[in-house]
Amino acid sequence: MAKGLSRQAKRDLVAYSFIAPNFIGFAVFTLVPIVFAFALAFLNWDGSNPITFAGLGNFKQLGKDIFFKAALKNTIIYCVGTVPLTMIASLALAIVLNQKVIGRGVFRTLSFFPYVASLVAVTSVWKMLFHPSKGPINNILHTVFNVPVDQLPQWFSGSLVLLSMILFSVWRFMGYYMVIYLAGLQGISAELYEAASLDGANTWQKFLYITWPQLHSTTFFVVVMLTINCFKVYDVAIMLAGGGSGELTTSSTVLVYYIYQKAFIDWKLGYSSAVAMVLFLMVFVVTMIQFRGQKKYQS
Amino acid sequence: MKKKLLSVVLAASMIASLAGCSGSDAGSSASTDQTPQTQAADNNDAAPAETSASTDTPAAADTDAASVTLKWAIWDKESTSYWQALADAYQKVAPNVTIEMVDLGSTDYMTVLATELSGDGSDFDVVTIKDVPGYATLVQKNAIMSLDDYISADGIDLSKYAGTTDQITVNGSLYELPFRNDFWVVFYNKDLFDEKGVDYPTNDMTFDQYDALAKEMTDTTFGSQIYGTHYHTWRSAVQLFSVLDGKHTILDGEYEFMKPYYEMVLNQEKDGVCRKYTDLKAEGLHYSAAFSGGDVAMMNMGSWFIATMLSNLESGEYDSSLCGNWGMVKYPHADGVEPGSTLGTITGLSVTSVTDTPDEAWAFVKWVSGEEGAAVMAETGNFPAIMTDEAMDIITGLSGFPTDDASKEALTVSNLYLEVPYAENVSEINSALDSYHGSIMSGEMSIDDGIAAMNEAVQAIINP
Repeated sequence: MAKGLSRQAKRDLVAYSFIAPNFIGFAVFTLVPIVFAFALAFLNWDGSNPITFAGLGNFKQLGKDIFFKAALKNTIIYCVGTVPLTMIASLALAIVLNQKVIGRGVFRTLSFFPYVASLVAVTSVWKMLFHPSKGPINNILHTVFNVPVDQLPQWFSGSLVLLSMILFSVWRFMGYYMVIYLAGLQGISAELYEAASLDGANTWQKFLYITWPQLHSTTFFVVVMLTINCFKVYDVAIMLAGGGSGELTTSSTVLVYYIYQKAFIDWKLGYSSAVAMVLFLMVFVVTMIQFRGQKKYQS
Repeated sequence: MKKKLLSVVLAASMIASLAGCSGSDAGSSASTDQTPQTQAADNNDAAPAETSASTDTPAAADTDAASVTLKWAIWDKESTSYWQALADAYQKVAPNVTIEMVDLGSTDYMTVLATELSGDGSDFDVVTIKDVPGYATLVQKNAIMSLDDYISADGIDLSKYAGTTDQITVNGSLYELPFRNDFWVVFYNKDLFDEKGVDYPTNDMTFDQYDALAKEMTDTTFGSQIYGTHYHTWRSAVQLFSVLDGKHTILDGEYEFMKPYYEMVLNQEKDGVCRKYTDLKAEGLHYSAAFSGGDVAMMNMGSWFIATMLSNLESGEYDSSLCGNWGMVKYPHADGVEPGSTLGTITGLSVTSVTDTPDEAWAFVKWVSGEEGAAVMAETGNFPAIMTDEAMDIITGLSGFPTDDASKEALTVSNLYLEVPYAENVSEINSALDSYHGSIMSGEMSIDDGIAAMNEAVQAIINP
């Protein structure tokens, strides 16, 4: 027995030494930059010249910034659309593919595929499908539903671009969350369903009183992950709405894109950090509300 | 209880990882002081910069006491003919100097360069300046030095640069010297004009004549479609027709003067005279593919496209039966404006503030931007910033260059307006204009609304 160290302290030391490699990496590459970003939000810096104090100046400027407001609005709309739709779609898929249907392995693979496929490749396909004048979707609208050519929907600009982004994300991510739901479904004891059947419950009642409550913690995880991922949206916007030059208009710009633009195109690192703080706060508040809701539900 | 604790920790780590992603943009750049190399690579995961970043360290060791190595930032070394040609030619004139080229890739070149030059870990001596917003950034970061003393000491005649240096002067000082100068012309497909029996465009066209000619050339018959003209999705290709009268610039903050040109182009779109902007965005059609496809009668584009046409026709990549018979004319002009006014883009060289050998670096910059460098540029089919008669003869004599006199005449420029002149906030102004250009062209906003939004956004930048 080593001198001076209690058994408990030794056990703790072993535990810390296992955590250390990961934590040191996290501290150097994530924690320090985060803390620095917090500080930068109240400063002005271009990466080279001396840092000056800005106080709340950066945040005051946010209120007047048209592009920031557009990015904030678009990000919120995107999240409000994507989170529930993806959750419902993936739950529905999971329930269907949890049944003993023929070829369910194939269908499970197929619905997981968009998540694995390269984003660049699948957005290219989407752009072909939804091409404003030559795409099959608009062709069907024109020939079958007699929509005049000049009224065909412009899927990648104007008011529809957010809808395109939402639909694309639902399609892309539902396979991934389906797998999580499948795991949850398989954890539900078959006895519960048997008992319910004996009591004469119909399918809807079984879903409502067994499946849904049993999946509660899975749903919580799915919603939290979806929310956080939605606020981070960047690649989908660039790929679907950016086009050649990559510039996003006010109808498609999102917060993370704006953070990048302010930081590395305009070199306003302080201002960019202020935008990042707004994003952080939004995610923080939403996640806290979700945790509160979860706690209430459990008690 | 344990479960609760676990879930809180889980949530905290998820939030932290998000902040890590978003916040690190700003936060991690703080570490550039220590590690500029890794940082630059970090920022450009997706860009070819990382993969193509290669340091060409010549094997020659510094045995000679007077020998100097200049580290020079460039892009796309493999696909651009003049970097190596310039370095080789200079090393012949100055045998004690070794030029070491560092390829930062063309995607995000200026962003990578600005990151490299942030802090004091950089050892670049000479850097190439790709665009004016990037130039403004480097000047404001004090990353490149003023060349005024050298220019006056060596008696450099700035008038040879056709007025472009005035447009990049910062508070009376010049921080780069251009060595390459591209300007916009109208390319046209002679075969299409011959088939239709329409006279070729001329070097003295007003915008009304150009518009009429584009309409005349258009054929909207399904299957044998001909587009009278083509505009690439860049803002420059449409919006900057409006600055050629010499009275307005993109820095004005009031943009009503752009309206007639947006109207012209959007009307052409409606009539099928040119491809739709939204289509081009959706399919990402490159302008070279549009013109070489043989269904575009005219296209406004920069003079860099000449070298592309020459080499791709020669290699057979472009079908010469579709676009082999081509010519060029000067940009159309507004009524009462001298023909030959056009847009330009310069590429320049700067000396970094951190170099140990500023004199040698300057000597290299001076040579490349001077007449000897100009001859090397012309031999590779590129337009030097100093347009000498000799350089002009070399370019027009290249094999495959159109033989008609009008095409040669098209290369003489009377007034050159930079696509982006220098201003303190030019990078932000540029972003705002780009964004609303997209809104107007895609029909998200009417022309009037888009211009009003430009006015508002740019005013907020100029007078915060």
